[in-house]
Amino acid sequence: MYHRHGPRDLVFPCATVIRVDDAAESNTGRRWKTFADVVAFTLGVNVWISVVILPAAFVGALHGGWRIAVAVLPFAVLLAGLIRRSEAILLGAFPAAVLVPVGLQPQLAEQYVYGPVRFTLVALGLVAYLFGVSFFTTFHEPPAPRSVRGLSSAAQAPASRWMRRERVYWMLVALSVAFPVLLVSWVNYDSTIEDYLGEMYPGRVALMTTALTVGAIVLWLLVYHYVFLGVLRPHRTGDRDLVTALGQARADAKVGRPRGRFYFAVAIALAAMIALVLLHRKG
Amino acid sequence: MYFFEVLAVALIGGSLFFFKETLDYLTRRDYVAALLVMMIGVAVISVGKEMARLALVQRD
Repeated sequence: MYHRHGPRDLVFPCATVIRVDDAAESNTGRRWKTFADVVAFTLGVNVWISVVILPAAFVGALHGGWRIAVAVLPFAVLLAGLIRRSEAILLGAFPAAVLVPVGLQPQLAEQYVYGPVRFTLVALGLVAYLFGVSFFTTFHEPPAPRSVRGLSSAAQAPASRWMRRERVYWMLVALSVAFPVLLVSWVNYDSTIEDYLGEMYPGRVALMTTALTVGAIVLWLLVYHYVFLGVLRPHRTGDRDLVTALGQARADAKVGRPRGRFYFAVAIALAAMIALVLLHRKG
Repeated sequence: MYFFEVLAVALIGGSLFFFKETLDYLTRRDYVAALLVMMIGVAVISVGKEMARLALVQRD
């Protein structure tokens, strides 16, 4: 493999020219990867314990071989994601694996297990994990510069339209967090809604609360897709990696043949249907 | 200067009120009212989205 050693210039628009060394950059990159692994492991274990292990211990659902195996499954997926350093596993498969024990033993997520405070803490832990993994696995600190030369444009303040854009970005971030938090909190912890549900659906409050929660999440996903992403969509053109990925996706779509993930999804759907039929036959 | 930004926050945030009302109507089994209020919420949030878009593309 060819390694290039020696200084090179990084030019930041309107700011500075920084002379860096490739060897130093490589060391910094390794340090960041280790840091990202530690962050993902710590926050991931926190999510696993708070969503699976503690509720399972609380309701006494850790007895029996298969129950323990299912409870350990998310941890195994987390380790696999860390070993492969795969964002798809860490951000997709691990959160999905956390839901497997909850899906098999719904009492882990019942309302008496999660009060408002505990729910908030668990939600914060999950958001911290998703944010930490998505941010630190792609963020790379630039190495310490060997020399720095200021450009004349660095003395000027950023243009007001850029400051306004940044304000709008932060506003969208804040609202995109507030939306799901408020919707899910209202459904699960608003006493008015709870009273109405008790009155209108006696004996089925938990079922209807779950249905409303799912409805709130679906609503939130639609709002996120059409409103929050919709506003930012024209601005994504500046991200070279993303534009390349989108170009590849378009090229794949033109082939007219489903990709591997389609067959994978069909297999999962068939397995789920078979499981459903078997459960009905048992019941 | 902050016109579009303030409007965007007010409209997107304000749409939450209509979605909350939607939940209330759903729990009362008033599905038609829930649908109507949700459509109002969607309309309000769409206008908020346009305001945010205008704030992003606006030039000085």
